[in-house]
Amino acid sequence: MSSLSSHDSKPKHDLKIHSDAVVCHESKLRGDITIGTHTVVHPRATIIAEAGPIVIGDYNIIEEQSFIINRLSPDADHSKQVVMEIGNNNVFEVGCVFESPKMGDQNVLEVKSHVGPNVEVTNGCIIGTGCKLRGTEVLPENTVVYGRDCARRIALDRPPTQGLQVDFLSKVLVNYHHLKKPRSANT
Amino acid sequence: MSYLSKSDIVKYACTCGQLKSITNMYFCRHCLKLRCGYCVCHEVDSHYCSNCLEILPSAEARLKKNRCQTCFDCPNCLNTLAVRGTTVSVRDPDDPSKVNSQKKYYHACFFCRWTTRDAGLPDQAVQTVSANGWTHKETNSSNVQRVTVLLERARLLGTLERHEREQREKKFTPRSRRTFTHLPGVTSAHVRKRAGLPPELPAPSTIKDTLAEFQPAVAKESVNPLPEEIFTKAVNLFEITTMPQRLAQPEIQPVFCVDLLPAYKHLSTKRSQRCRECEHNVSKPELNPSSTKFKIQQAAYFHVPEVRLVTAGALIGGKDTEVVLLFSNPSQHPTTLSFISLREAEEEEGNKQTEDTSDLADQQGEAASSLSSLTKPAVVLEEPRPISIKVTGNVELPSPDAEITLPPKDDAAEYDYSGETHKSHNDPKWVMHRRANKAAVSFTVTPETGFTGKRCVIGFVLRYTYINRIPSPGSFDQKPQEVRLDTRLFVDCGKICSK
Amino acid sequence: MLKTFYEGGMGLTTEKQAVVFDFGNEYTKVGYAGEPAPRSILPTELRCPETGRIQRVFDAVTFDEKYDLLVEFIHTLYFRHLLVSPKDRRVIIVESVLCPTTLRNMLAKIFFMHFEVSSLLFVPSHVVSLSTLGVNTALVVDMGATETVVIPVFENVAVLHAWQAQPLGSFAVKRQITDMLKKYESPELFRTRDCVIPATRVKVEKTEPQEASETSAEAGVPEGYEELEEREEDFNYITEKHIEDIKVRTCFVTSLARVQKAEEGNPCPPPPNVDYLIGRSSRIVNISGEIRENAYNVLFEQDGDHISVPTMILDAISKCPVDMRKPLAENVLLIGGTAMATGMRARICEELKSLVVSPQYCDKLKVRTFKFHTPPAKENFAAWLGAAIYGASDIVSTRSLSKEAYLRDHQVPDWVSLIHNVFHDGTKRSL
Repeated sequence: MSSLSSHDSKPKHDLKIHSDAVVCHESKLRGDITIGTHTVVHPRATIIAEAGPIVIGDYNIIEEQSFIINRLSPDADHSKQVVMEIGNNNVFEVGCVFESPKMGDQNVLEVKSHVGPNVEVTNGCIIGTGCKLRGTEVLPENTVVYGRDCARRIALDRPPTQGLQVDFLSKVLVNYHHLKKPRSANT
Repeated sequence: MSYLSKSDIVKYACTCGQLKSITNMYFCRHCLKLRCGYCVCHEVDSHYCSNCLEILPSAEARLKKNRCQTCFDCPNCLNTLAVRGTTVSVRDPDDPSKVNSQKKYYHACFFCRWTTRDAGLPDQAVQTVSANGWTHKETNSSNVQRVTVLLERARLLGTLERHEREQREKKFTPRSRRTFTHLPGVTSAHVRKRAGLPPELPAPSTIKDTLAEFQPAVAKESVNPLPEEIFTKAVNLFEITTMPQRLAQPEIQPVFCVDLLPAYKHLSTKRSQRCRECEHNVSKPELNPSSTKFKIQQAAYFHVPEVRLVTAGALIGGKDTEVVLLFSNPSQHPTTLSFISLREAEEEEGNKQTEDTSDLADQQGEAASSLSSLTKPAVVLEEPRPISIKVTGNVELPSPDAEITLPPKDDAAEYDYSGETHKSHNDPKWVMHRRANKAAVSFTVTPETGFTGKRCVIGFVLRYTYINRIPSPGSFDQKPQEVRLDTRLFVDCGKICSK
Repeated sequence: MLKTFYEGGMGLTTEKQAVVFDFGNEYTKVGYAGEPAPRSILPTELRCPETGRIQRVFDAVTFDEKYDLLVEFIHTLYFRHLLVSPKDRRVIIVESVLCPTTLRNMLAKIFFMHFEVSSLLFVPSHVVSLSTLGVNTALVVDMGATETVVIPVFENVAVLHAWQAQPLGSFAVKRQITDMLKKYESPELFRTRDCVIPATRVKVEKTEPQEASETSAEAGVPEGYEELEEREEDFNYITEKHIEDIKVRTCFVTSLARVQKAEEGNPCPPPPNVDYLIGRSSRIVNISGEIRENAYNVLFEQDGDHISVPTMILDAISKCPVDMRKPLAENVLLIGGTAMATGMRARICEELKSLVVSPQYCDKLKVRTFKFHTPPAKENFAAWLGAAIYGASDIVSTRSLSKEAYLRDHQVPDWVSLIHNVFHDGTKRSL
């Protein structure tokens, strides 16, 4: 994490939080991060933009101890910035690790799952509890990864969106946590 | 608490010769012997569904083929399915312009997200989905019918065989059983029943007639050829089932994922353990599936002194070192401990056995004459095994006469920190310290040479007194008796180093 | 089903249903007598409590080790799958005629001494399979995991001198797939000991408990990242389970015509390739059409002694007396899991027809037609079903070895043993 310090020298207002987003103060955000509307970031969640900016879309839920990192790989070209893009309506459950630069919409990363830097997550995918994907691949839409051997199947439809849960969290979290002040992306 | 469940440092030798930690053993209070999961008789107590926690009587469980009738397993990943509800809008049949919302239920797996919709099963209107609509189709039902016919045939053939044998035997035995049939109301079937004989067989001629109707299978010359499209059509692995998925449904063993149908959930059992020698229960759980308590739980941990390794000095081949073991008394009575070397114990055992066998021979002679063996079946036991562990260290034990007494377990004393270590005056010097029902004892251990890098295992026999509160069946003496029991112990002290 | 249980009377209503076991090298079939299918078919393997590894029961070397594994395995069968107390219940075991006596005696000891069953009946798999058909004569070809055994059964008697057995089973196919894959894939894919079939040492399994224990995650920092990188290579391995999966899901038995064309030098275009994904590493293994089509050919290629599965069938027929040959050839019964492969029956049929007119056999054998039976069961449990049907009759009470007899003599009657063969007066076994 030594490479972080160079980015840290930049002022913290790289952080862009959309006005309706709920980002708890106890979360750990480093580097150039954009968080879209209605996205909920729980306390103790970690998002680190090391190799380049992270852009998170709308209506995502990022739970406790989840870890999203745009990692700077040691042999990568340092001059080129890699943007990590995360779409809308995704759920990052407790303790998941996400390193891939690309994620579409309506995906679920279940508890303690791990998505490596070379796995492209499209739309409607579910990475099951404890499943660790560290190879190189593009997950087709609606893929479900489950079980000890990371077996795959294609679901009929996408997992349901968590609209109600987002509403609930945005009401409740405010009562018990300090929030990071929203700083609109366009101001 | 991990030392309770994971410890394999101190091992007790069970009566059957298995080495286990004390937490994995039972103590039969009637035979006064250690028992383990291997040498007790396991019995199925009750059947229950682990999902809905409903108990099924064993007769019903047998009828339902050990399957719960309300819960289902996912055919894809073999976990339990959950019921999910949705609202669908249905157009009113009377008034097409009106749209009614209706609650519909389907089953989904939260693990692999398989749903009954994947199998093309329609959503159900009620929450408790019956599997009537889901039962497997044509293919196997014809098989079942055929098997029923074959079973009937096998049964008739078996009867025929028995008939022939009875005929053969009849030539030599007097036919006394028909003598009463002339009495009113007494049929031959009745007589057979009273005589304890199986019901009379149908006449062999009728059996042969029925058998003649049977149609044996016909072999066919034509076989299904390999489908030509297999050479051209691309394979989608997502559509083909895996071996575990096929074997989960042995009758059908579907090849394609679309044919996977939810399976009734397999039941679980509650089991009780019984001592094989005296047939008393050593463990019996409560009937209620949600209860984790036991009606009877004779764990060795409640009766036999527990031994823990406290410290061990540097273990070097051929050099003396100090090993401290902690002994604690779990029972409600004081116990006296003494130590005997394995060799001495073996000799003692040998002497006892020769006595025993002569006793046994006498008894057997008696038994044969009084026919007492009819009342109780003989105890079937596997012969005890030799101990599989190799002792690699010599331990210097105090003389067998030297004893230490441990006070009974007192739950309140657990929280009493005042008297940290008080040695009683008459303790020998090898007792390091004691507290409540525990005492730490120091031993001198010499690891054997030539085992560098291996584990240093010491073994000895712990002799302890035990208060037997169960009167022996013969005696009228109801007083608790004090008995001395031996148990072989093996302690893994650590790795033997070279320097 | 139920109707026959309760109306059929005799025996079944009062007596407990007997348990039928068919221990295979790869899969064990277990269930109750009188039922149309086994309750469970499961791999004959256990997780070793000491090492945490999956161990195949019949891989055990020493007597004690095998004994312990079998006890543990049968214990799970009773209490997880059958859900009955083993004590005082009848047991029927399907055995191969070639089953070693030591294993037989070991099973008898386990069932009588450890599980205290009331009686034990060993039934030979080939003979008993006939009760699934209701015929008395058939040529039974059992294609199992380790070997294929052909035994003609004539009027319910096994023609033993005509038996044929060769190590041509699913293990041979799996070994073939591994060898073919090795040609295309980098060797590091096969670094586990797993690929030495039939040993099952799942490397992945070993790392499992470690991973489960890494719970100490510092606030948001992923646990032991470097460690993960190191271990990553473990997941690249292809295990025997994968090979089994590849065999079952992608391979098939090709037709004889295509094999002949390939031998002539103008092969047909191979079937499409399949990308097989090893889930844990996202690694894609390309299963070429050649592998898919030709893996099973190992059972049909004649080796140095000109032996393959079809020649075994023909050899078995030609070793029988002339008047038995026609009925045998017209009653071929294929059983065993390997016989379930797509196209297996068609290929055997084609091979037999072409071989019987080839110079190798045309003088020896005059039979020209072969007919195949279809049992009312999947091939992999046909022998089990035979025993289940056989065991539902009175035979189980008259022919079984009773507990009392075993405890008295401590031995199992065997057809090869003169003690049990010579003094046989039809009803009682006298020593």
